[in-house]
Amino acid sequence: MNLLTLIRKNLTRNKLRLTLNCFAIFIAFMLFGSLGAIKNAFESGVEVAAADRLMVVNKINFTQSLPLAYVNKIRSIEGVKHASWANWFGGYYQEPRNQLMTFAVDPESYFLVYDDLTIPEQELSNWLKDRQGILIGERIATARGWKVGDRIPVSSNIFSQENGSSTWEFNISGIFRPKNPQTDTSYTLIHYKYFMETQIWGGDWIGWVPLNTEDPALNEQVIKAIDSMFANSAAETETATEAQFSKAFIEQVGDIGFIIMSVVLSAFFTILLIVGNSMWQSIRERTNEIAVLKTIGFTAHKVFSMILAESFLLAFTGGLLGLLAAWALVIAIAPLTQSFLPALVMGKSVFFAGVVYILVLGFITGILPAWQAMKLNTIDALNRR
Amino acid sequence: MFAQIIAVIKMNLLSLPGRIGSSLTTLLAVAIVVTVLLAFMAMGEGFQKTMEGSGSDEVAIMLRGGSQAELNSGLEGDTLNIVSVAPGIAKNENGPIVSGELYVVVDGTKRSSQTEANLPLRGIGTAGFALRENIKLVEGRMFEPGKTEIIVGTSILSQFDGFELGKTLRFGTTEWTVVGVFDAGGSVFGSELLTDVRAVQTQFNRGNSYQSIRVKLEDEKALDKLKDYIANEPRLNLDVNTEKAYYSEQSKDMAILINMGWGLAIFMALGALAGALNTMYTSVESKAVEIATLRAIGYKTTAAFIGTLVESLVIAVLGGILGTLIAFLLFDGISTSTMGGSFTQVVFDFNVSANAFKNGIILAFFIGLVGGFFPALRAARLPVVLAFRS
Repeated sequence: MNLLTLIRKNLTRNKLRLTLNCFAIFIAFMLFGSLGAIKNAFESGVEVAAADRLMVVNKINFTQSLPLAYVNKIRSIEGVKHASWANWFGGYYQEPRNQLMTFAVDPESYFLVYDDLTIPEQELSNWLKDRQGILIGERIATARGWKVGDRIPVSSNIFSQENGSSTWEFNISGIFRPKNPQTDTSYTLIHYKYFMETQIWGGDWIGWVPLNTEDPALNEQVIKAIDSMFANSAAETETATEAQFSKAFIEQVGDIGFIIMSVVLSAFFTILLIVGNSMWQSIRERTNEIAVLKTIGFTAHKVFSMILAESFLLAFTGGLLGLLAAWALVIAIAPLTQSFLPALVMGKSVFFAGVVYILVLGFITGILPAWQAMKLNTIDALNRR
Repeated sequence: MFAQIIAVIKMNLLSLPGRIGSSLTTLLAVAIVVTVLLAFMAMGEGFQKTMEGSGSDEVAIMLRGGSQAELNSGLEGDTLNIVSVAPGIAKNENGPIVSGELYVVVDGTKRSSQTEANLPLRGIGTAGFALRENIKLVEGRMFEPGKTEIIVGTSILSQFDGFELGKTLRFGTTEWTVVGVFDAGGSVFGSELLTDVRAVQTQFNRGNSYQSIRVKLEDEKALDKLKDYIANEPRLNLDVNTEKAYYSEQSKDMAILINMGWGLAIFMALGALAGALNTMYTSVESKAVEIATLRAIGYKTTAAFIGTLVESLVIAVLGGILGTLIAFLLFDGISTSTMGGSFTQVVFDFNVSANAFKNGIILAFFIGLVGGFFPALRAARLPVVLAFRS
């Protein structure tokens, strides 16, 4: 009988206890995996933000507009590679509940700034030619089953057309895809000019200016140059990196990362108590056997590693199953959360963090019992019976 | 029979300190599960309490048809004149109580994260205060009509930097002075900056436009009269609702928080249940001889069963009580803010309600019940012969 068999036999001697412990660990890691994926999905905007991309918004608040003339002034600033502009459309599809995030953008420059998106050459040139064309993100195309060539009505809960209707008809010219799968593509793009000419409020006003710099190292310099250029004007600007902008936006909802981490930590602490206590019990019940093992020549060191290995094996069995279940769960719920958490996937980072936590759990629950078994005085233990 | 049950319960409970480590882990595990549940409930219920305390039944709010939220809405100046003569509107010495309102979103710095967050700078008409009876000025003075002066809600003062009395704020090229502080009785209005509607229209180039019109209703039937009038007036395209209904609608989304709390708590409870079962099986094992002995001297199986079950329930419910206490001490009254339906921050307090307490104890009770049931079955089925071994 080799050591591994012994460890396995020890672990499975009390099947009920093994099942209960495995189950508790399973639950903890399933929560960890799925909550980790949710946390990442919330923060994906920050994570996938391009390092060289900046956002220029009105200093009062990003919902206030800027004059269109700012774009050319910004383009002339040293260090700015490309600059584009966009407007919030407030779109929905058929029912106000079916929000369809839509931006009215400058078609010529948008993809120069958002160079982490790809679109087939042909589709892009079709869109440039068709003023009523709309580009849809891959996620939207998948979620709604829309195809290139479809004609769709998009309504706005803010704007209306001159004829009083608040619904515009668009032709789907193409589908844009992300280079990094975590990048959100659950939005659509329409021509700024077409939007401005058909809606009643008009005016050369834009929502914000996205731009990229020649080099991320120039970001600070460009931010200063832009904001000081428009200082003391009627529409002062506030420029920030895309990551800062996304982060501030998430913070508006609340400290979601903190809330999720608190839940995960309390789940882990609970499981640590339960499994640690149970490991402790199971070693105490085995005092005699351990004494016998030592008597027949097992070194203290071997006994120590044997018990530690047992707790690692337990943690891995429950933990890996839990992570697997989380992965399946995330796939199952992703279609349901499409509208508010588009980037919900359980990535590698969550999985590897999970494995690290499994190691930590195995170590903490095993170290004390293993230590005690190693220090066990054989004579005393055998005398005790 | 009753005496037997009491005797077994007493034996089990008195022997608890002997298994203190194992019992304490279960107790703590249950306490943590209950704390998590209550934290989410306190968040959700706290937000709902703020929203529901906000609207009045006697005030109607009108938005452009189909706009759903004030921020999306836009109304021409004429609309206000047409609405002013509608039936069902209460009057005071200044005529019908009608307020055309308009807010712009401005940045404030959130104290907790030092990031910028959306706050509403709301312009209200002269009748605005007659429509907001729960607002009281607690410091400074009222803003003067037409001037760039604002009064701030106490909720804003507690969560955001830079709005203290006397401070000057700059939005665009205009400077605004904080001249007063008001309390809004914990309602969403406390998360607003108020000023005169003309000042907002002028300083933010909004012409003579509004986003919403609020009116005081003269009686319960007034809302229907108002709706009829609007439906039959071709120049108007408005959605009408009571203010109370408008804000309750916005609190609905937060129900998801409470559901999420339950989802998480139930998952964690399953984990805690594994601990409870483990503890109780060990407890039954360690007392196997005693239980068998009692059976040998004529105790009923029911006594052994109930005795074990009660032990488990006591541990779990004590854990539940501990959990609710922790939740109450840690969370009750904590102030925080989140994005509300108007695309601006709503400050609210965590509220650990009696209802949450009850739910926490019920959850703990169920963990104890299931965690005790199967070990109790085993206790009841212990063979009597065990008493005569060893």
